[in-house]
Amino acid sequence: MDPILRRSSFYYVTSSITYLAVMGRYMLTRDWPVFEVIPLFMPVWLLSAMMASESDERYAFLRTLPVPDRTVVRTKFVLILSSAAFQWTLMTWAALGRMDDSVAEPSTLVYLTLVCLFGLIAVAGYQIGIWRLGFTSMKPVLLVTIIAGIALIIVHLASLKRVDDWPALSQFGVVEWLGGAPWISSAVLIAIALLAFRALMRVGVRVKAANEAHL
Amino acid sequence: MDTVLEAADLTKHYEDFSLRGVSLTVRKGSISGLFGPNAAGKSTLLRMLAGQTPVPTGTLRVLGESFGSAERDLKNRIGYVPQEPVFFENQTVEWLARFSAPYFARWDGAGFYRLLDEFKVNPLKKVKHLSGGQKKLLSMAFALSHDAELLILDEPTAGLDVVHRRALLDRLRAFVADGDGTVLAASHITDGLDEIAEEIWFVDDGRVVAHEDKDDLLARWKWVHFKDGALPKAIEEGLVRVKRLPFGSSGLTGDYLNLRAALVGPLASGDVKLDNASLEDVLLSFIKGA
Repeated sequence: MDPILRRSSFYYVTSSITYLAVMGRYMLTRDWPVFEVIPLFMPVWLLSAMMASESDERYAFLRTLPVPDRTVVRTKFVLILSSAAFQWTLMTWAALGRMDDSVAEPSTLVYLTLVCLFGLIAVAGYQIGIWRLGFTSMKPVLLVTIIAGIALIIVHLASLKRVDDWPALSQFGVVEWLGGAPWISSAVLIAIALLAFRALMRVGVRVKAANEAHL
Repeated sequence: MDTVLEAADLTKHYEDFSLRGVSLTVRKGSISGLFGPNAAGKSTLLRMLAGQTPVPTGTLRVLGESFGSAERDLKNRIGYVPQEPVFFENQTVEWLARFSAPYFARWDGAGFYRLLDEFKVNPLKKVKHLSGGQKKLLSMAFALSHDAELLILDEPTAGLDVVHRRALLDRLRAFVADGDGTVLAASHITDGLDEIAEEIWFVDDGRVVAHEDKDDLLARWKWVHFKDGALPKAIEEGLVRVKRLPFGSSGLTGDYLNLRAALVGPLASGDVKLDNASLEDVLLSFIKGA
């Protein structure tokens, strides 16, 4: 196994397992709005894994090794993608299992896909930000994003329970409409997101090669 | 003459510093020393030459290739020692070797551990527990353990005790002895590299201000000590770093070979004396404001 991949994967694997251990239990046992709220933690969790991984990275050392930036960028992006895919797969599996008791609906599958794809693209963007501006500069931005993300989720959860007409994201018209054919919608959304992700990876290679702040 | 490194018009701008149009060539089998004051641009230049930082303007060919198309191959053929250690501080030396080895095409694990032994670096220690000098030696061990053809070293002897400094200088001499290895190192003159460097590059304020074979350089730079009025006016006016002393004056000339004939008379009179200049003397004459 590639040493950079092995080293960085520790944080992503730990994060994915922790997420599922903490959140998975809720998804399998709790009622509405569990599939509205729990998936929203996925982008935050993924961002935390990326942040932990980057805080322990020494790009200046990697640059002394015969490892092109393209390889490093690909490794980091593969980890983000794998982690997102793993969480999406298990949340989808959990949602499918809860359809019988009406806790999840076909549109839930689309909603899970949308949230996971948002997390994937957003975290890839933050990763590029680190290569452009350096971890030290990006750290406050990452922390604020994580804290604000958690706060918004808590506010959203509280509002769903206390405010009668508070909108549920998983019941937006477009999500419901895409939920008419959840697998096809998800496949199309994933394909579009993967194209965007690949474009970001190319941007990442250029940004990493042209900037020194992360070294 | 085989050239292993050719840089032309390298330019890079930072907020508070610019490297301006640096051109430099390094001959195969030589030891080249890059000297200059702090913040002259030596480290920036070496980082560019070693493929550690992009080259925004100018052309660079190292070992016949450019980094854009042959980064992996070139980094296998270059051993680079940065000015500051860049290791994973929380890991052991042994871990670093295991981590790095798969990336090198010709990693010599046994050689690496022999060097650690010679440099008295404990492979079981975490990097953060090594002294500054030991980290430098660890960098050197990495640079010497993958069959590199060109060593690019940023102050390789800084922070080393006299024993290790001597051992390292001997290693560098041995590295170029068969004519295949080449060394380019930035250093402060007092660090000992000036003893073994054959080609001298002086850098100041982001520019190369002088380049010459060391022997040629030292042959033409001399201290001239003279009693007032003993030197022809034209020669006296050409001296630099002139010091007025109680018994006369002293100044440096970089044109000794051309002045030799004109100095025969004054030297015979005993009113003029010559001394060899050191590299430090010469460097100071090139540095603005020194």
